[in-house]
Amino acid sequence: MGKAIAVHSFKGGTGKTLISVNLAATYAKNGKNVCLLDYDFRAPSLQVVFKSNPVCWLNDFLDGQCSLSDTLIEARPKLSVPGVFYVGLANPSSTATRQVLTKDRKWEMRALQHLLSAKAGLYNDLKIDYLIIDTSPGVAFSSLNAIVASDLVLLVSTLDESDIDGTQRMIQDTYSSLERKTEVIMNRVLIELLTSEAEKENLSRKAGEALGVLPLELIPCYCDVQRASRTSILALDKPEHSLTRLVERISERIATELGSPMG
Amino acid sequence: MKKDSPQDLREALEKINRSIEQLNRKLDLLLEEPRTNPNPESGAEKAHFDGFDVVTLLSLPDHLRKTAMVLCRLREASAEDVSKETKRARAVESDYLNQLVTQGYLRKRRSGHKVFFHIEG
Repeated sequence: MGKAIAVHSFKGGTGKTLISVNLAATYAKNGKNVCLLDYDFRAPSLQVVFKSNPVCWLNDFLDGQCSLSDTLIEARPKLSVPGVFYVGLANPSSTATRQVLTKDRKWEMRALQHLLSAKAGLYNDLKIDYLIIDTSPGVAFSSLNAIVASDLVLLVSTLDESDIDGTQRMIQDTYSSLERKTEVIMNRVLIELLTSEAEKENLSRKAGEALGVLPLELIPCYCDVQRASRTSILALDKPEHSLTRLVERISERIATELGSPMG
Repeated sequence: MKKDSPQDLREALEKINRSIEQLNRKLDLLLEEPRTNPNPESGAEKAHFDGFDVVTLLSLPDHLRKTAMVLCRLREASAEDVSKETKRARAVESDYLNQLVTQGYLRKRRSGHKVFFHIEG
């Protein structure tokens, strides 16, 4: 049975999309069948990475105009990975992003139902092992729906105090209430703070005390990654990069936690 | 005093199991009937299905949210199915599921002796 991972954050700019894309690519690289969905309807970005014009957008699926499989494009032919790699994109047009603001609670209720119903098709028909949902930051309906539909929430935070404060409250008030397994990654950590294992452990412990959850990984801020084109998928293009190795470790830990250890 | 044979014990346990199942069925009927009014003209409110969104889910009391979350995952389930997930007694889950039906968050259907609950409109 497939597993769903919602990648979320309290604030924007923490690196969710980078993590989501590379996590999905890592699983596909290791022979797993993956479906990656862009659930950031307010600020879609996966269309920049995967450069495709789908027949249907995820917005159409949530409007009930098509099935989830109608929205999926197969990224594998371009990426040469052993596992299946499907991507579902959110409509980046200004009209579509504005329309998100007009949705009422009844629409959101139906959107949740559509997503929950579609999971079975992904797992049973398309044999998806991992559904990864790249969400909108903060408390947005689409993000909360993704969290409800997920088996695990991967929270991406920075060491910024306001980020830690908001992330801690989300863990306590939202994820706990929804009884979701939660893992935290601290991203964009200044490299000067990670000069030794002892410093790394100390920082991890402090972040864990502040959040109430020990972080899975501390990911340094890599200038070359910041400068790289969004169309590049580090896990595939630079397999020896430190970030690639960290994402590999994250993917293994998550797989074990979800009861399906890698290889 | 004569010792019971393993066969006697097995038969006794099976009899107890059947009695429990009968009691569960009767309890289901007792729990269901007062909550839905088959006669709308009596003035009492008929169960009205609204479904729920995630904000509603978060606003539910913890014990009902736990049940609702299982339904989110299973899509359709009996009280017994839900109790296996929550590790709460079947009769307790039956009560919570019926509360969620009364509040308009779930629908239910009967299939033979079993009642199934679901959230899809």
